[in-house]
Amino acid sequence: MKPFDIVVVGGGGAGLYAAMEAMKTNPSLKVAVLSKVYPNRSHTSAAQGGANAALGNTAKDDTVEMHIFDTIKGSDYLADQDAAEVLCSEAPKIIRELDNIGTPWSRLDDKTIAQRPFGGAGRPRCCYCADKTGHTILQTLYEQCLRKGVKFFNEYLVLSLSVDGSRSKGLIAMNMKNGKIEAFPARAVIFATGGYAKMYWNRSSNAAGNSGDGQAVAYRAGIPLKDMEFVQFHPTGLRKSGLLVTEGARGEGGYLVNNKGERFMNRYAPEKMELGPRDLVSRSIETEILEGRGFDSPAGPYMHLDLTHLGSELIKSRLPQIREMSMYFEGVDPIEEPIPIRPTAHYSMGGIDTDIFGRTPMDGVYAAGEAACVSVHGANRLGGNSLLEILVFGRIAGHTAAEEAGRHEAREISRQEIEEKEQELRGLMKPSGHYERYGELREELGDTLAQNVGIFREASKISKGIEDIAALKERFRHVRVFDSSDVFNTNLIQVLELQNMLDLAETVAAGAYVREESRGSHTRTDFPVRDDEKWHKHTTYTYENGKPVLGEKPVTMGRYELQERTY
Amino acid sequence: MADQKEEMRDITFRVLRFNPQVDSKPYYDDYTIPVEKGITVLRALNYIKEHVDPTVSFRAFCQAGICGSCGMRINGISKLACTTQVWDELEKCKTPNVIKVEPLRNMPQIKDLIVDMDPMVDKMKKYSNWIESTMPESKMGEKEFLIAEEEFQEYDKATDCILCASCMSECSILRANKEYVAPAILLKSYRMNADSRDGIHEKRMEALVQDHGVWDCTHCYRCQETCVKNIPIMDAIHGVREEALEMRGAKDTSGARHAEAFMDDIQKKGKLVEATLPVRTNGLGWTLTNLLPMAFKMVLKRRTPPPPPLVKPSKGIKKFREEFQEMSEHVKQDQKDRKH
Repeated sequence: MKPFDIVVVGGGGAGLYAAMEAMKTNPSLKVAVLSKVYPNRSHTSAAQGGANAALGNTAKDDTVEMHIFDTIKGSDYLADQDAAEVLCSEAPKIIRELDNIGTPWSRLDDKTIAQRPFGGAGRPRCCYCADKTGHTILQTLYEQCLRKGVKFFNEYLVLSLSVDGSRSKGLIAMNMKNGKIEAFPARAVIFATGGYAKMYWNRSSNAAGNSGDGQAVAYRAGIPLKDMEFVQFHPTGLRKSGLLVTEGARGEGGYLVNNKGERFMNRYAPEKMELGPRDLVSRSIETEILEGRGFDSPAGPYMHLDLTHLGSELIKSRLPQIREMSMYFEGVDPIEEPIPIRPTAHYSMGGIDTDIFGRTPMDGVYAAGEAACVSVHGANRLGGNSLLEILVFGRIAGHTAAEEAGRHEAREISRQEIEEKEQELRGLMKPSGHYERYGELREELGDTLAQNVGIFREASKISKGIEDIAALKERFRHVRVFDSSDVFNTNLIQVLELQNMLDLAETVAAGAYVREESRGSHTRTDFPVRDDEKWHKHTTYTYENGKPVLGEKPVTMGRYELQERTY
Repeated sequence: MADQKEEMRDITFRVLRFNPQVDSKPYYDDYTIPVEKGITVLRALNYIKEHVDPTVSFRAFCQAGICGSCGMRINGISKLACTTQVWDELEKCKTPNVIKVEPLRNMPQIKDLIVDMDPMVDKMKKYSNWIESTMPESKMGEKEFLIAEEEFQEYDKATDCILCASCMSECSILRANKEYVAPAILLKSYRMNADSRDGIHEKRMEALVQDHGVWDCTHCYRCQETCVKNIPIMDAIHGVREEALEMRGAKDTSGARHAEAFMDDIQKKGKLVEATLPVRTNGLGWTLTNLLPMAFKMVLKRRTPPPPPLVKPSKGIKKFREEFQEMSEHVKQDQKDRKH
């Protein structure tokens, strides 16, 4: 079977689309997908709301140009305009393609794909399947990959990129079922491992495994990361668990209400109200809480998301999952009473530095989806643009890799490299000098990030965060893996995930510290305004001697000039 | 409006452990931990892993009931640990305050609560659980299919399936025969065959009517009862069967002939003529070679069904036949309507 021409790491929307497109581009290629979960478990499944595309089905006067503008404005002008243009102009095609291969989109009366309003969008252009859009897209893509005979390596954890000079030779990964370390020599590697927002742990809506494995592996191999300080807080996480209530709930007409019974969004976004962009709505909720207009509970302060006026019919047909989750995790039926919510770390705008063809600066390595930073989202992503991004850029990365794979020679990965990895992992299981419990470190990492590098940031707090992360990294050197089994060692896996989160957390905090301005999701209370003169640029991070070295990259402009961002 | 102080209680989780590297057979470990009301079984397991025993192994990912990773048997019933409240389970404990946690059944156990999901994926492939679009690949992306809300409704519920395999764990046929297609796969097959974009209805059905296929289901309804997404899986299985009869007639496989023999008996007598059922389903040769030993045992245990002449029509059979006739007409009309 091995070596493969292309190995895709990650079996979510971006990874599966990349694999599918690579096989379509060149059917003679050997393509493998390596995923630490069965692909249908990937976090794409949790995306509820939908994917934006200017199909013009619901609003006839919608255009691709309007979608581009909304995306750039939403990004607080940090998106690369050529990338946003690719994203939005490919959107209608990709939504139709998904329809053509079986995605069950919800429909309008005229039998065309239905669309609903979403935050920060000038027209209702979010295509959806009830509130299970990501789930149905993921199923469709997985089904199609099975149909096409993509070779899957399920429950494999990527450990490192094997590099020879400036070129990748392939990957080293662990087969979780038997603990074996295996080499995957490949002409091309595509990272599609999803986001890194789970580093906020208890204050995150992400799946437990969204530890940014691909980003960390690429970063440690010398590939730069970009814009890591931009982490989006979703306005409506459930109070107790941080789990997400889709923006669709507000798209369908839900209200945000404070303890005075006011729809307080009229103070912050009088026109768009609840459908303002996410960064703005999250800040508004936090401000209301800080100023004493929130509700209190043992699980912390919260706000009300009120759907009761929408009626049971609509809630049951359009937001069934939300209702289910509110009842399971909060004991609240949204038909009867408001849902208790608070902002939760949700999405990572930053990621592996890639161009609009999915290439990273390293030859033979590509990235797509939330793992990548093209950048289409800049400082703040619009709702409905993330599913879109994984589809559009998953496909592009698959296509580019397939076209370019032939140019690269297949190389071998030496037995020695594998043995070194084996030794490193065995070292973690030694009792002597290893006593720290990973669960504690992980929780402390999340807490310090949420407190010091969360929604509202300032120099002194971020410094504290940086110190905390450094101390946690030091303690991690003494972390103990108690399970010595080779078979499905989830203890070892979670420790390795924590290592990835720690390395990436360092870049998030470092970026937050240097960026002395407020832009999109990054809000510095000590630098409350956007500073285009000094900071209209991307930040980059290169791994040197275990630390991030910061650099910068210009933003690609186009026809849209910098403007103040108001809603 | 502060919440009431949450209730706390010590609860024991009795977890089925098995590590193939050291254990010759599975055994139970008890973990007693303080649990707050409102906590899910998954959060309790996470607590055990982080604070008590890091070697306890289970899968978990989204923790929000959508990825399907944490399917396991809790107090004997297959469900998702992440959407199961500990407090709800307390009422179902055989020993007070002891919650039993075991891996899903009918799939090979890998370690502790982790089972091998590959058999499910293999079956998805075997039964073409995908849309093979009627649109050529070169035309894709140019235009949408037009799909009526009614069609979407036909498979909307079926697309809720998250492949958690709870239904497979509870399925009584799969327990006896690992080759059996399994409820989740039938549900997905139904969903594909209800989709007008798909061009391989016949091919998929051809596989479904073979041995270990759709006719093997015995209507025990366990799949539907346990479905974590409340999907009417049995309706889907009936849907596949009806479609099989419609597309392929009642003669082509033993399953179809069995169904037809049932219908015949019910129409004529209002009850089954069990003695001849195997012959009518599988033919005389098959029956003699396969069922003779069982027939002897039945004679010994005096469990033989009455011979056909002794099966008299049920009371009120005349009225029943009229209603049966009327029902048949309705079914035929429905099928006609669906075709147009």
